[in-house]
Amino acid sequence: MTIDDLRAFGANVEEGLTRCMNNEAFYLRLTAKAVSDDAPERLCAALRVGDLDAAFEIAHQLKGVYGNLALTPLFSVASGLTERLRGREPGDYLPAAERIVALRDELRALL
Amino acid sequence: MLAFKEKEKEQEKEQAPADVLPGLHRYSGKRSVLVVDDEAVNREMLSMMLSDVYDVLCAADGEEALEIMRREGERLSLVLLDVRMPKLDGFAVMEIVRGDERLRRIPIIVLTSERSYEVRSLRLGATDFIKKPYDEPEVILARVERIIELSESTTIISHTERDRLTGLFHREYFFQYVEQYDLRHAQLDVDAVQVDVYNFRLYNALYGHDAGTELLRRLGGILRDFLRETEGFACRQEADVFLLYVTHREDYDRLLGRWESRLAEDRRFSSVRLRAGVCPHADKHMHVQQRFDCAKAARETLGRLGASVAVYDSALHERELFARRLLDDMDESLADHRFKVYYQPKYNVTGSEPVLSSAEALVRWDHPDLGMVSPGVFVPLFEENGLISSLDRFVWREAARQIRLWRDRYGVTLPVSVNVSRMDMYDDTLTETFLDIVRESGLSPRDLLIEITESAYTDDAGRLIAVAEELRRQGFLIEMDDFGAGYSSLNMLAQLPIDVLKLDMSFVRHLRSNPKNLYILRAMIDIKEHLGVPMVAEGVEDEEQLKLLKEMGCDVIQGYLFSPPVPPEKFEKRIESRTQS
Repeated sequence: MTIDDLRAFGANVEEGLTRCMNNEAFYLRLTAKAVSDDAPERLCAALRVGDLDAAFEIAHQLKGVYGNLALTPLFSVASGLTERLRGREPGDYLPAAERIVALRDELRALL
Repeated sequence: MLAFKEKEKEQEKEQAPADVLPGLHRYSGKRSVLVVDDEAVNREMLSMMLSDVYDVLCAADGEEALEIMRREGERLSLVLLDVRMPKLDGFAVMEIVRGDERLRRIPIIVLTSERSYEVRSLRLGATDFIKKPYDEPEVILARVERIIELSESTTIISHTERDRLTGLFHREYFFQYVEQYDLRHAQLDVDAVQVDVYNFRLYNALYGHDAGTELLRRLGGILRDFLRETEGFACRQEADVFLLYVTHREDYDRLLGRWESRLAEDRRFSSVRLRAGVCPHADKHMHVQQRFDCAKAARETLGRLGASVAVYDSALHERELFARRLLDDMDESLADHRFKVYYQPKYNVTGSEPVLSSAEALVRWDHPDLGMVSPGVFVPLFEENGLISSLDRFVWREAARQIRLWRDRYGVTLPVSVNVSRMDMYDDTLTETFLDIVRESGLSPRDLLIEITESAYTDDAGRLIAVAEELRRQGFLIEMDDFGAGYSSLNMLAQLPIDVLKLDMSFVRHLRSNPKNLYILRAMIDIKEHLGVPMVAEGVEDEEQLKLLKEMGCDVIQGYLFSPPVPPEKFEKRIESRTQS
């Protein structure tokens, strides 16, 4: 995985790098750590059993991490899902969670 | 005496704060911060941002965070705390920290972008927030730095704004708080109160320094308890003097009683007496310090027995104003010759007819607005204030000038006695001054009789004896004033070189009312005969007293029977009639 890969993915690389004191290796290492995590799978599982509290918790957490790394496509989905779960808005949450898994997998493939 | 003073000083010193800056790392010299977040990415990212400037410790959940906080204590400058975490969440951590005396001082920044968490976090003691996703590192660093700075400056305040011994405010902070309080509560009816322990030194002396300290500590605790039930503040001003600024009340008597009984729980303090001076309904236009001065003035009117509470009222205020005025006016009156020296004649009664033998110089104040002010009013005031020295010197000089004038005019030298105040005794140039004065008027030292009062020196007899010896060496005659009053000590008499014994006026006055006084007088006469000095009785008002004193062997009589103190012009008549006869 390179900075260009992330840029191609849609990440706001400049913002992410700034938070990492412009240390590219550090940024890439943190991103690798983030995409290695199975939280998106746990999110899907919680939604499947209807545990919306747990789902909110995980979505919220993912939103924070993706936000900090400026992984914009992942961040916007996680953020939207978090807000919907917070308000317990009607509708199916699972497609958004699966979208997170898919996007995460895209990055995982680059490792 | 000195030893007690030293101890009081030490007790004041115990409030000295240890101004140790918390949070400075033992080894690196960097401040330590703790980052708590269950997400490794967030944790590491923050650490990365902070690690140039700070030593960063990390915890992945609340339990670990607490463990580190307990271990590091005040060495931690700041905690950056996530809210949502497994095991123990951020709120639970803050709850625990808030109840921990040691940890609660460490500032906490909460890592959240949830607005709904902010109020709750603030209530739990959070100082600030950092939202996620994080701002630029510069912003976060600036925030962290600001919070640490703020916390350190307030920590220093909290170290020093309170007196360590009593847990009450220090005086400076106390006055500041009172001022602030008045600004916000201009309408409230409040009292300025000064409380002290009667004869506090005694507790140091009787039970040791530690007991004195313990007494103060307990009293501090009692006052802190009291402040929980009423609105106000308190501080320890110095040694055993406490100041209170509290909602007005009338029952200070009862309150002191309650505090005394709480102190008495320790047997050593069962006889502690507290005293309070109250400046009620504090006038907010008056400076804070002044209100407490009033409370102090009231407290100072309290003696050993009787009331334990004194309220500053208009009578006391009037007295103070009057005293202030006299003190203020003294210099001007001296310059304007408003002080007059009067002379009261003394008659030698050893012969068949009383013969004018000498005089006593007494000062009178013809105040421009108040008329004649009694020396009984202004002398004690000037003594307290130190102004008495310049007034004394004026009288001495004036008396010498007068002796010379009479000598020139009538060809007789009439010795005049002058009073030396206690303060003068501590003036190393005293003998020089007297010598200058007699030299200026061309007199000999024997023409000026120097009256000293022995009773004022019960605690420093050595000084009195040394000064008297020195004056005598130069040829001055020493008259011992107020003999037989209060504390006259035969022991001192044996050591003190004197030329005249002067019997106290009140003793003369009570000569007849108490037959025992006659025996005492007999004994005194024996003493003066033994010492081979003449005895003067002052305050003699009638023939009967004169007859008695004369029969007993008294040599010289001064009193209204012959003449009150009179201005020099009037006195001269007596010299004239003497020289004529």
